[in-house]
Amino acid sequence: MSTGEQILTVSAGAKTRPRKAATRRQKQERLVAVGFLAPFMLLLLIFQYVPLLVMARNSFYDYSLLNPAAEKFVGLRNFADMIEYDDAGRSFGITFLFAFGVVAFVIPIAFALALFLNSKLPARGLVRTMIMLPVVTSSVVTATMWSFLLDPSNGLINGALDIVGITRQPFLTSTTQALPSLIAMTLWQQVGFGTILFLAGLQGVPSELGEAARIDGATRWQVLWNITIPLLSRTTLFVVVIMTVFSLQTFAPAFLMTQGGPQEATNLIVYHIYNTAFIMQQAGYASALSVVLLLVVLAISMVQMALLRSRWNY
Amino acid sequence: MRTTRIRRTALTLVIILLIIACFLAPYAWVVASSLKNQFTVFGDVTPLSWRAFVPVGATIENYVSLFERTNILRALLNTAIVAIGQVAFTLLLCSMAAYALTRIKFPGAHIVFMLILLTFLLPIEAMMVPLYQVVSGLGLSNTLVGIMIPWIASPFGLFLLKQAFEELPTELEDAARIDGAGHVRIFFSIVLPNVKVPMVTLGLITFLFCWNSFLWPLVIVQDPARQIIQVAIAQQGSPTQLPNWGETFAGATVATVPLILLFLVLQKYFTQGMATSGIKG
Repeated sequence: MSTGEQILTVSAGAKTRPRKAATRRQKQERLVAVGFLAPFMLLLLIFQYVPLLVMARNSFYDYSLLNPAAEKFVGLRNFADMIEYDDAGRSFGITFLFAFGVVAFVIPIAFALALFLNSKLPARGLVRTMIMLPVVTSSVVTATMWSFLLDPSNGLINGALDIVGITRQPFLTSTTQALPSLIAMTLWQQVGFGTILFLAGLQGVPSELGEAARIDGATRWQVLWNITIPLLSRTTLFVVVIMTVFSLQTFAPAFLMTQGGPQEATNLIVYHIYNTAFIMQQAGYASALSVVLLLVVLAISMVQMALLRSRWNY
Repeated sequence: MRTTRIRRTALTLVIILLIIACFLAPYAWVVASSLKNQFTVFGDVTPLSWRAFVPVGATIENYVSLFERTNILRALLNTAIVAIGQVAFTLLLCSMAAYALTRIKFPGAHIVFMLILLTFLLPIEAMMVPLYQVVSGLGLSNTLVGIMIPWIASPFGLFLLKQAFEELPTELEDAARIDGAGHVRIFFSIVLPNVKVPMVTLGLITFLFCWNSFLWPLVIVQDPARQIIQVAIAQQGSPTQLPNWGETFAGATVATVPLILLFLVLQKYFTQGMATSGIKG
């Protein structure tokens, strides 16, 4: 195509003419667009949308992964089983408790750390690097590390408790301490991520607002409560949702540190799904559990989007 | 006035030291203990002494037996192959798709965009059972390709690059188009060279994600020869059933050090990418 022709077609394309047959140029553009998008969209459809459909379908079947061909349609039986037997309810309950515990501790601590790091500090960069180390460390290494830290007889934490005169704790082998231990570990692992998000939010708060309020006689606390925190409500909501969705999908600690125990006290839902599908070979029931988990996560994301759209738009 | 300032500075320093101790102590203990024999590891913890965090009388025997006894070297190599492949294909496919969505006008663009947007909401890790069936149905179970392929079309990557492409001024491209350059040439020789920072950021985040992934590789690969590093580490055992803690610590150190080094060198990009994922998500 010559340069002259191209200028002509470009200028023709600038005028929008809907409902007219596509020009040769437009057809060519479409073809190029398909070429650029096809690889991405193909993988997206195969590995995100197809599994979604497969999961929805299989939640109505009874089958095993070892022999998927021998499947049996059972209607809503898998969902009825979830209500009838208490494994699903308990596992979801434990998972919600876990997520709630993580969010309840991560939010205030990450926020406090972000405020601290946003002020003039010696060694600010070093502190920021330190709190980010667990974020880039894998969940496997973190879980391994913490199962040794929390070991009842030779763990570092019990060694430290000895020094300050507190009796040794069983931690992961206790039905009451196992879940709080996992929450503490997740807090250590994720608080840096929350801090980075809050820091990004804090940098968007104009400092003049606080300074003006201070001149008018407001205390630091008043500035924090009445200016900084309201301005960060969107960031906070986002961190809450990220941490909730992340916690609901936690797997490695339950798999590596407690095997869901003791007495299923840490039987987090993704670990339960893994066990049901790959160990107990009840893939249909596992699919039904996955559908419920998916709906829970979708509901949380929807609420987030609705809130972000409607309110708190400063 | 003066004493309050001194007190305040002292308090700040104490908080800083406390934070550093909280986050650094576990790493120091693991790395130091990986260089000790079992007897010393236990002895330094009960009663706890400063020696727990310092490799006094270091020995590399844990590392020697780790590399001799287990297939960790193979696992490291597999992980490197998967990570590099995943980074390369993610960058290529995401940038191509981002180019189409920002530079080419075509009907149905917003439908395509909605399809991508929706996948952001899917808790894909929680969908491992159907994903396992899809990937093994394609004959990709027990392969390195099977480990990486589901994550290549990354909606996060697309959004990061789409944002960058939109911010890039189009004057240069307009000039090139008038000179007769097609989309392929504009993409490779004008757009890509001008979005290096977001590309590096996406590459790093993808590498981190891939290196640390666990549940999916655990599910899709059973063949020990195709195992990746996190699964290899996970199968070393728990504190109570282990003859030697030091060897597990050596494994954890080997699995973590490459990423921490990468993070320390390129921290700016990591933090930027994570903050972006926060703001744009």
